[in-house]
Amino acid sequence: MKIYTGSGDRGKTSLFSGERVPKDNERIDAYGDLDELNSVIGALIAALPRHTEGLRQELEKFQSDLFHIGAWLATSPGAPAASSLQPLDPDGAAALERFIDRIDATLPPLTGFILPGGHPGASWAHIARTVCRRTERRVVRLSAGIAHAESAEQLGRAIVYLNRLSDYFFVLARHINRLQGIEDTSWKR
Amino acid sequence: MEAVRPAASGARTYGPFTTRITAQRRLSPRAFEITLVKPRSFDFNAGQRLRLRHAAAERDYSIVSAPAEADIRLCIRHVAGGLVSTQLGQAPAGTRLTFTGPHGYFTFKASSRPVVFVATGTGIAPFCSMDASGISGYTLLHGVATSEDLYYRDFIQPHAAAYVACLSGSRPAAPGQFPGRVTDYVEKHLPRRACDFYLCGRQDMIRDVTLLIDEEFQGSLVYSEVFY
Repeated sequence: MKIYTGSGDRGKTSLFSGERVPKDNERIDAYGDLDELNSVIGALIAALPRHTEGLRQELEKFQSDLFHIGAWLATSPGAPAASSLQPLDPDGAAALERFIDRIDATLPPLTGFILPGGHPGASWAHIARTVCRRTERRVVRLSAGIAHAESAEQLGRAIVYLNRLSDYFFVLARHINRLQGIEDTSWKR
Repeated sequence: MEAVRPAASGARTYGPFTTRITAQRRLSPRAFEITLVKPRSFDFNAGQRLRLRHAAAERDYSIVSAPAEADIRLCIRHVAGGLVSTQLGQAPAGTRLTFTGPHGYFTFKASSRPVVFVATGTGIAPFCSMDASGISGYTLLHGVATSEDLYYRDFIQPHAAAYVACLSGSRPAAPGQFPGRVTDYVEKHLPRRACDFYLCGRQDMIRDVTLLIDEEFQGSLVYSEVFY
């Protein structure tokens, strides 16, 4: 099956819900950033240190979660196509919190700002954190004023999830550096 | 006329499933249909496809039959020199196959707007499944090279509000058939209004019709499935 049609060559694309919209539509911006985030997580997985199979599995689970979020972002509120979408897990953010708490308990307490960087895996985690924040901002913008209850509910869950996922990447970056014996570099004024 | 929506199936299963061929029939010199045993735990929505594993390769085929039917029927385009279609075309009844599925989101969405199905060749398969599931009142344009490729016409025509056979080959079209591509028909004859378009088949048809919709049928919804 071909992956291209050329039907977007004049600057429009189709939403999952069937509408033809310009490619700079705010909905396309949102799931485009989400796609970027997913790709950055892929790079992060590729840069993980050895013997971190558990982290890889966690991150791949998050990549799958992002696909579900992307489907909601690509669907207009109340569209018939929404009936074929899987509702987002209402406990998704709680699961992330458990991951964060588990990792954070092993880290030295933070005493100030730290410079993003260190091990390549940690550096990718920082990039994932910032792309995740941008995606979150896009989804917040998209969700403003949505009257359709089900769509508002799903985008609300996506915002909470992305908010927590960004925090996860922060502690993951510190965790990877610690695993590799790299100390956090504090910001010096 | 408003299209009618069938009862939805709730399936979300992927297999792999084991099945076997129970029947095979030629639809035209360029296409054939195979019938498979439907595994008890397999379910799908009309318009979805399954991924067949055969001859150490995988191919996606849209399902022609309705979810409620006892068997699964697939409409397969014979690709000259193609490994899978050639072997499937020669496979006798009893041949065992495996597949995963259902795959895809090319399913019917309820609407109060006119529904236009546009297919080229074997791209008619998902529309047969939708029709067999109870959808009616749509306009269907079927683009083929010659009239012998108008398989499923007798099945579909009674349920469609309009059925248009578009013949792009060199032979003259019969009375009631449109001489030209489906894209030409959309451009020259389809009333300008917001519709729900479902496009399935050749990549260039999907591109050309979608670009026409952008220009001439503003406010329409477009769902598409690229076959080849």
